[in-house]
Amino acid sequence: MASTRDIRRRIKSVKNTRQITKAMELVAASKMKKAQSVALAGRPYAELMARMLAALADRVEESQHAFLTKRAVHTRGIILVTSDKGLCGPLNANLFKLVLDIKTPAKFAVIGRKGSQFLARTKRDLLADFTVSDRVAFNEVKVVAEFMVKQYIDGIVDTVEVIWPKFKNTLIQVPSIMPLLPLSSVKDAVTGLHTDSGTVPMPKSAVESQMLFEPDASTVLESLLPLYVNRQVFHQVLESKASEHSARMVAMKTAKDNATKLLGDLTLEYNKARQAGITQEILEIAAAQFSAA
Amino acid sequence: MALTLEIVTPEARVYSDTIDSVVIPTVEGEVGILPGHIPLLTQIADGELRVTKGNEVHFLAVGGGFAEVESDHVRVLAERAITEDKIDEGVVEAALKRAEDQLRSAASADPAEFEYLQEMVRFAGVQLSVKRRRR
Repeated sequence: MASTRDIRRRIKSVKNTRQITKAMELVAASKMKKAQSVALAGRPYAELMARMLAALADRVEESQHAFLTKRAVHTRGIILVTSDKGLCGPLNANLFKLVLDIKTPAKFAVIGRKGSQFLARTKRDLLADFTVSDRVAFNEVKVVAEFMVKQYIDGIVDTVEVIWPKFKNTLIQVPSIMPLLPLSSVKDAVTGLHTDSGTVPMPKSAVESQMLFEPDASTVLESLLPLYVNRQVFHQVLESKASEHSARMVAMKTAKDNATKLLGDLTLEYNKARQAGITQEILEIAAAQFSAA
Repeated sequence: MALTLEIVTPEARVYSDTIDSVVIPTVEGEVGILPGHIPLLTQIADGELRVTKGNEVHFLAVGGGFAEVESDHVRVLAERAITEDKIDEGVVEAALKRAEDQLRSAASADPAEFEYLQEMVRFAGVQLSVKRRRR
């Protein structure tokens, strides 16, 4: 049996671990709340964009724009959204599984340090890596989205897809992959935006059909589509932040609970060892007295 | 009769109020909107957006986006938008200077970055002109 001193030392270290994990859990919880409220703040934008796209959808021949035309896929372009830090359970590992499933040639752009480390380790074709701050600004993400769109326009990649941990609720984050370019149709984009903003499409009013476009409908659509792509990626990055913080919170809660349980077991063992020591001492004293008498 | 004006960016809803009229900077020049305007969807340029409400006139700096007018609702979808009182002149001036320095030193750099810097400079200029208008 381990000596009481060894056990005491272990109890101390487990206590420290518990304190740290508890603190991390609290921090993650507050960050998660913030990340969720930021994601909600983007809803009016999504809703308005859906309205505008819907107004344009009927007016424009869909096949004109480069974003809407399909071409033969030789190289897939993938934006991988991961976290910068670990200790968030299986969040990143689940994303990497999706990446490993891709057998066709693909080029990657990465957000988050974990992702670029992984791609370097598995020797995949990394075009660029980006980091975003914890409070994600639209500008930071815009750079990433526009970089990838440029690769698409230049023909270096033939699709743009996003792999990110989709936030379902605090306990469930689903690693997902979503094709961004080419867009299947403007109507699908509108439906997607409505899902994101949690709204239902408005019935078409008679007024809308007489809407005036300046300079003209196709020009407006052409400049609206890049904004749509930027917004989409921004939304996914925000979602991945919310996922990261909730995954970390859950992981830290489990760690804290495990530490508490371990602490109970160790305390029991310590008390047993202490009791055994005392019994042993009494026995020795009694034996000594007997032999003296 | 009044207009409802809403300005949203990807990050937040910046402005939402009932107003009398608004002047929006578009790519084809300024457009003044009064109640009863015909439905319109237009692309906005970096510039100042002028809101009139009663006797008050408010200014906002907006950039990169679209404006929609439909049955007395004006909705502006902007990439950047900031109300006059939130503009911090010192911060903007510093940012402007930084961006200009980078532009000069990296004139031949990556065109995407070049464009981004130019955008920064333009918007900073707009913010300053909005802020200084009052003097």
